[in-house]
Amino acid sequence: MTAEVWMGYLVDHQSDFTVVQSPFVLDSVRVFGADSDATTLAVAGVLHRLQHDFIESISVPDGMDGASLSSATHVVLHDIEAEGEASWEVLMSDEATVVVARRGASVELQKLDVEIEVDRKFHTAMMDAWARELSNAHVSQGAYISRAQYEEAAQSRLSMQGQVIRSTVSWPPRFSHLVDGDQPPLHQLQRAGAIQSWTTLSAAGAPSEFALRAPLLGGISTVFLQLDDGPRGVFLTVDDEDSTFTMDARMELVFRRLYAQEGFVRYGLKARAIHI
Amino acid sequence: MVDVAVVGAGQTKYGNHPLGLKGMWAEAASKAFSSVDGDFEPTSIDEAFIGTIAFGGAQLGNTAALLTEHSGMDGIPVRRVENACASSGFALRDAWMAIKSGQADVVVAGGIEKMNDLTPERKRYWLGVSGDTEWERLAGLTFPGTYALMARRYFHEFNADHDDLVHVSVKNHLHGSMNPAAHIQKEVSFEKAAGGFMVADPLTLYDCCPTSDGASCVVLAADHVARKLTDTPVWVNGSGAASDHLALHDRPSITQLKATQIASSRAYSMAGLTASGIDLAEVHDCFTIAEVLATEDLGFAKRGDGGVFAREREGQLNQGSTTVNASGGLKSKGHPLGATGTGQVVEVFKQLRGEVESGRQVRDAQTALTHNVGGSGATCAVHVFGRDRS
Repeated sequence: MTAEVWMGYLVDHQSDFTVVQSPFVLDSVRVFGADSDATTLAVAGVLHRLQHDFIESISVPDGMDGASLSSATHVVLHDIEAEGEASWEVLMSDEATVVVARRGASVELQKLDVEIEVDRKFHTAMMDAWARELSNAHVSQGAYISRAQYEEAAQSRLSMQGQVIRSTVSWPPRFSHLVDGDQPPLHQLQRAGAIQSWTTLSAAGAPSEFALRAPLLGGISTVFLQLDDGPRGVFLTVDDEDSTFTMDARMELVFRRLYAQEGFVRYGLKARAIHI
Repeated sequence: MVDVAVVGAGQTKYGNHPLGLKGMWAEAASKAFSSVDGDFEPTSIDEAFIGTIAFGGAQLGNTAALLTEHSGMDGIPVRRVENACASSGFALRDAWMAIKSGQADVVVAGGIEKMNDLTPERKRYWLGVSGDTEWERLAGLTFPGTYALMARRYFHEFNADHDDLVHVSVKNHLHGSMNPAAHIQKEVSFEKAAGGFMVADPLTLYDCCPTSDGASCVVLAADHVARKLTDTPVWVNGSGAASDHLALHDRPSITQLKATQIASSRAYSMAGLTASGIDLAEVHDCFTIAEVLATEDLGFAKRGDGGVFAREREGQLNQGSTTVNASGGLKSKGHPLGATGTGQVVEVFKQLRGEVESGRQVRDAQTALTHNVGGSGATCAVHVFGRDRS
């Protein structure tokens, strides 16, 4: 069946569930893209579902980063020690596929017709790099932020939650309210903007957090975006192998892996050309 | 209020230095002390400020105390000053303020960095510690990347192109080829600089300063002491400093550095000068685009004309009204982060006293400016000097 492309993934929306699949295949088996995992697919699935349904709470399987998913979507993560069950759940399959389903829904997976063959050597090297990054022994610190720092700014980093300060939308968060005493109202920014500048760093020049993967990617690209709500920001790009950046080109922000360190993944939003 | 003069200045050669921190500092201090014309003993120094990032982390704590004990400054108050690449520009300002306040008569300001004894991975980490970690670094940016964003935006806003940056590189390599203290003492052709290895598109290798070992040291004195030490003091006629948002995305514009504009405005005002009155300027060209922006922010070129200023070589030695980076600048002289600010003062001290190599002397130099930037413009210190007091 023909799939909808949503945040770089394939989506099959049904009344009680949403299937999210990676568009990439290797030997006819779906595999994750370079910066994706089950959590990034689940976030895309929940954000898609939220266009149609209110999700009161959600449960996620072991191995998925539920806290980051909750920060990125504002959906409450079900407390496993609480009574009752979540109204929605995330299900995970072996083949780079997740399902966001109403609890008890009967899920039927359809074969989606978009398949992008990945280079075996590239894919293997990239997955190996992620595995090495995730090992506890990997503690390179070129772009280090601690788990506490990651969690403190998670709502801003993962869902573009901003503030309104003196009638102006501000992002990332500022803390001047701790001085002047006025808690600024929150503002949910749209996940889109236009390119104001860009660069591609050579593999040798990338921060050491990206040092394992940058050579495989031929360097890493960063765009400076004028966000639609006013603030500006810098973002790594994703799915940009065939892209040529231009001034004022439109980009959307999608949830992806940034890097792994000390055994856990730092997620963030990456910029993706809207026309792709 | 008391006036302040530079009465001595010295530095190591920049580049791959055979000595470590203690030896490099002792060499720079020794050269500074011996450059003082009159009888001078380090025991006369009241206080010392030493700028360093402590690159590599080898001596992150109590750096200043470790170094000064190797240069005859025993028992005096000392401290490390850290403001990224502007560390010793701010050390100079602190030293100047200590004398201005009346609490000290003779103060040392200096800087040091040992950068080339690290593995590439460790070096890469330390080169990034002064950026905005939480938002810019997580977006994959290092300083070449940050300045590359500025460059591309500048090209777009002002119809400039990479050739303008190449002219900066060629000029500064020309100047550096004549400076025996420079890290890279060779000229580079326009064609070679234009076709360098791409580091951070659009910046190539020839748009980026090298990583250098080096130390620099200047001796400041209150006017009543300076008169006893030399007949040719170099007066600190203006000091200005400012800060700005650390991250580019928080700034209203990424094609100008507000901290430079504010710091220079304060320094000019104090000195009673404008940009047109400056004979030579040592500006912070960590990347060629940084010099283009600096020539505008400091007032040597109009907004948007920095590329033209570079293209027409107005900053080349004795070509225009202001020679820019006669030392070779960070691009060619080198950039031992913490040492750069006071290293600029060493150049200015010699230029204003007519003591540089004959082919590199700025003619009739009466006034000079140093411009020292931290990171991508979060901090900046600007000082104005003169052969005469303002």
